[in-house]
Amino acid sequence: MNNEKAQSTSTQKKETTLADLPIGATAKIVKIIPHSRGEKKFADVGLVPGTELIMEARAPFGGLIRVKVMETSIALHSSDAKKILMSREE
Amino acid sequence: MKNHFKIALAGNPNCGKTSIFNALTGARQHVGNYPGVTVESKSGSFFIGDIEIELVDLPGVYSLSSSSPEENVVFEELTKPGIDLILNVIDSSIPRRSLYLTTQLAELHIPMMLVFNMSDDALKKGIKFDIPKLEKYFGSPIVQTVGRTAAGVSELVKKLSKALGDLDHHGVPMLTYGGDIDDSIKDVADKIDALKIQKYSHIPSRFFAIKLLESDSCTMRLPEFKPVWGEVAAQIKHLSEIHAIDDTTTFMADRRYAMISGACRDSISMTGQRRREISDKIDAVMTNKFLGLPIFFAIIYVTFWFTFTCAQPFMDWIEAGFGWLGEFIGAHWSQQTLPYLRSLVIDGAIAGVGGVLVFLPNILFLFFAIAILEDSGYMSRAAFVMDGIMRKFGLQGRSFVPLILGFGCNVPAIMATRTIESDRDRKTTIMIIPLISCGARLPIYALIIPAFFARQYQAGVMFAMYAIGICIALLGARLMRSTFFKGDGEVYLMELPPYRMPSARSLLLHMWDRGKMYLHKAGTIIFATSIILYICNTYPQKQNFSKDFDAQIQEAQKAGQITADELAQLSVGAILSDEEIAQIKAQGSISDELAQRLSEKKLTPAQKAIVQNSNIANGRAVALENEKAAEMMEFTISGRVGKFLEPVFRHIGFDWKATTAAIGALAAKEVFVSQLGILYAEGSADEESVPLRQQLIRNYTPLQGFCLMLFSLLSIPCLATLAVMKRELNSWSLTFTTAAGLFVLAYSLTFIVYQLGSLFGIGTKLLG
Repeated sequence: MNNEKAQSTSTQKKETTLADLPIGATAKIVKIIPHSRGEKKFADVGLVPGTELIMEARAPFGGLIRVKVMETSIALHSSDAKKILMSREE
Repeated sequence: MKNHFKIALAGNPNCGKTSIFNALTGARQHVGNYPGVTVESKSGSFFIGDIEIELVDLPGVYSLSSSSPEENVVFEELTKPGIDLILNVIDSSIPRRSLYLTTQLAELHIPMMLVFNMSDDALKKGIKFDIPKLEKYFGSPIVQTVGRTAAGVSELVKKLSKALGDLDHHGVPMLTYGGDIDDSIKDVADKIDALKIQKYSHIPSRFFAIKLLESDSCTMRLPEFKPVWGEVAAQIKHLSEIHAIDDTTTFMADRRYAMISGACRDSISMTGQRRREISDKIDAVMTNKFLGLPIFFAIIYVTFWFTFTCAQPFMDWIEAGFGWLGEFIGAHWSQQTLPYLRSLVIDGAIAGVGGVLVFLPNILFLFFAIAILEDSGYMSRAAFVMDGIMRKFGLQGRSFVPLILGFGCNVPAIMATRTIESDRDRKTTIMIIPLISCGARLPIYALIIPAFFARQYQAGVMFAMYAIGICIALLGARLMRSTFFKGDGEVYLMELPPYRMPSARSLLLHMWDRGKMYLHKAGTIIFATSIILYICNTYPQKQNFSKDFDAQIQEAQKAGQITADELAQLSVGAILSDEEIAQIKAQGSISDELAQRLSEKKLTPAQKAIVQNSNIANGRAVALENEKAAEMMEFTISGRVGKFLEPVFRHIGFDWKATTAAIGALAAKEVFVSQLGILYAEGSADEESVPLRQQLIRNYTPLQGFCLMLFSLLSIPCLATLAVMKRELNSWSLTFTTAAGLFVLAYSLTFIVYQLGSLFGIGTKLLG
């Protein structure tokens, strides 16, 4: 539903998950799905709602992604990143 | 005033805590392990005037909760009484992230001092701090430092001594979570106060109240707080209702970042971001989806090349040095005085310790290279690019380097697993490393393969041995993942710190740390085992032999004696130099070497006869000596154990001699070859020994030869590996399980191969 909305106008905010963010994109954390694995650990490095981050890279063969959050590069697994909902300016 | 203080050093990973620790304590450090977990504990001491300060370097953590073994350790250490002050190191180039831990440390109300480290980076990035304001905000004095160059450390010591002189009047942080949350915290804290828990009387109840409200498992685990759980649940429900949230576990984290934002807005100003960009540009290549892996393999190759090339000359020197020492003692310690002790010292202790020390250069260079990769920040990039492949086998990116090191020697490989943060991945990696075919197993293959396999198959068989090891190791990792270490495991989260130039001081310290550990642990174990093995291989000494060897050897030597007549004959035609004539006169016989040289020259028939006669006599004497050694070996503890175990090992193609050799291989894998040499009466053989190969061909089938190799590859590694394994796993039971598991694996696989091979007649006859 959000996707449809985003497609209607180009300046609107697009909702996606951290795992699906294209490389180089900047986005803001909207919400972290409650009680997901490691939410506290992620919170401790700054992955909390309201934080802005940059998608930096994807590792070869598999699941690791690398994001820049609070000026630090953090690698995490995309299965965990799926639980982090993002919004970015189109 | 007290003259002994205990200070805890706390901070995020990669904040430069270790360089501050090194700058303060110098070489006075003690490295150990926290009981029950594989988290390294490090402490050191230093003096300010006549005040002694014990500095405990806590593991680097992001938060004071319980999402990793490191955090558990920090939580437990800091809630224990006895800490006079917390020295909180902060990477001041990323203040927002770094101060997160500080907000929690401040809640402990232990006097604290903040070290704004990496202040050169902060300056480059254009970050400016209003220090007096921040000091007031966190209720702690602040010092700015650059750990790598030790700049600001003397200022740190000065402020530290001032703070220690006035511990009772330390500041109070102005940190609040905001109206209704503070009310909830206060309500829970009051309930905790009412409990009057003696154990935690030195820590404010507010600290625990906050932890309970964010459902922190470290605090929830403490039975002392059970009576307030009802109140906590009620407050959580209350808070989630008024704030319209469905998850309170990260609620406090949110608030803390808000607090820091507030503090930063007032007292930290930022412009530009230069340094990070350089690091990011390097990373665009290093962790590139396509270039990342090739670059990684190239770097690993260079690392090994560096290690082995640079270490080789040092290893040769050490080997020569110990050889010389043995000979020196042998020459100055007469065979008549305490002959047993003499032999134990020379053949047992010196040879055994020399065998271990010879690997020291390798270890030092290897860890120097690893320290460069680690300190420069590349290691976490390597883990990032390798993770995808390793994960398919139930491992992770950081497992790769230790596994590759295993091809050299399993001992440093196991020591290198310390870079793996996840406890479970580290244990899995340690437990499969023995299956990686190490350098000491090479002599076994080099002896057996040419004996049984035609030239065109040799490389293939050798490759197969390595491949079997790797396959079983990776399968083993998968298997352990689905049995031993079942479940999702820890959440993967890794920081990729910016690239930095490693400092020589930290590289050398790192290298020395590891080298010392290797010398101490492996050295003591190897020393003990080489003595035990020596005793097993030597005693009981056989006195009555099947024939009178000594007399027969003497007889053979007599037959080879050169008479004055024969010497005159040999002098004809000037084929001997003056020294050679003197040598023959002194020995009364022709040495093997000399006979070899003579046979290459033009000889008269009479001379030929003399040389031939001497050759026969020499050969007979050597054969008799070897036969005697074999009989002695059979009589010793090792020989007896081998014979005793033969009924078990017969089913995997081993006779008692191979069994005995396999037991000897426990000390070091290559001992297998020399033991076999002694048992087959071929003297002290090495892998190039042709007569020993002849003996093997006569006594074993190619199938048995393969089984010998397979068993050596898979069975229990050498005792040094087991000793290091125990140290790194921090558990006797896991070490024992691994050893037993490897033995069962080796036995059953070899059993299957041997029985199937025998049944179908594969390799029961010599090929080609």
